[in-house]
Amino acid sequence: MSARSPLLFAGLMTDDKQTIALGLRRRDPDVLDQLIEQYQQRLYRYLLFLTGNPALAEDFFQETWIRILERGDQYNAKSKFESWLFAIARNLVIDASRRKKFASLEDFADPETHQPFEPPDLHATSALQMLLARENQQAVQISLLKIPAYYREVLVLRFHEELGLEEIAAVLAAPISTVKSRLYRGLAALKSALTEGAA
Amino acid sequence: MNETLHQRAQKLLAESLVEGITASDQAWLGQHLRECADCSHEAAATQELLQALRAVPVAVPRDLVARTQLRVRLRAQEASESSRSGQLLWVITGASWLLGVLSAPLVWRGFAWFGGQFGVPRLALEMGFVLWWTVPALAAAAAVLYQRGVAQGFAGRRMRESKTLH
Repeated sequence: MSARSPLLFAGLMTDDKQTIALGLRRRDPDVLDQLIEQYQQRLYRYLLFLTGNPALAEDFFQETWIRILERGDQYNAKSKFESWLFAIARNLVIDASRRKKFASLEDFADPETHQPFEPPDLHATSALQMLLARENQQAVQISLLKIPAYYREVLVLRFHEELGLEEIAAVLAAPISTVKSRLYRGLAALKSALTEGAA
Repeated sequence: MNETLHQRAQKLLAESLVEGITASDQAWLGQHLRECADCSHEAAATQELLQALRAVPVAVPRDLVARTQLRVRLRAQEASESSRSGQLLWVITGASWLLGVLSAPLVWRGFAWFGGQFGVPRLALEMGFVLWWTVPALAAAAAVLYQRGVAQGFAGRRMRESKTLH
């Protein structure tokens, strides 16, 4: 580690997509080390909410970076690195889910039924407010794990990772309309889960 | 205030979070929230929900980063070694082929002399000549396959070791 790559001194901690793409093409371990450090929290959080299982999240975390190493030359630096990273992580989870490698993984089948979004009942929010006032974070965490994974992941990508709709669509390889629909339904489902938990 | 206005407010509230709303819709929603206690409470609850969602604590397990970095470095090293040995193999193969072509007349002359000395039929000589070229190639292929098998076994062992480090 003493002879660090000059790429690191070029400012990898910035969102320099070209620098990252060059490092990935060269399979530069110093660049990968830096990326793993930089994105550890975001990737682990995404995987944890996606799988709902800390052990699986750890496994997928490692597998994602191995995949990044092996397919680094496919990153074209046109999109944000984190979008590509999340897409790779998501594909790994879905592949494992399809192979039924991990029994605890939820079904990722497309949930869209093309029904219009309906706002939640106004009068159902009183219990929600009480719960939020009491133990917001814990309650939200528990409720998040109660809603389907395909809603959970868009909520995390939008409100935790602050990704735009187009970026989320790129991660999901789905149309923006699907992303919007899942976000509306996900918010409604989260509120509903919170309300049920408070009842 | 009728139910339709509440529904519109709820819809705009959700849209403002997901995809954004126009300035005129924003102004209408602001006005409605100032006048409607129910919708105002709903908006506040939704904001609290999102704040709580953003604040959900997630701690990355200890050593996960170090273990991952180790695995990635090992894999990068294997890939690099494999690439180098592949290049070396191509160089050796090219040199061997060139040497073979250049030395073919001499080798054939040797086979012809041997056949003349011991009365070996021409067909047997030709088959011997083909074998002379084929056997080293088969040996090289066997060596490559053996090396690949050893490398895969080694990689598997190292992966298991790195997983059990913690």
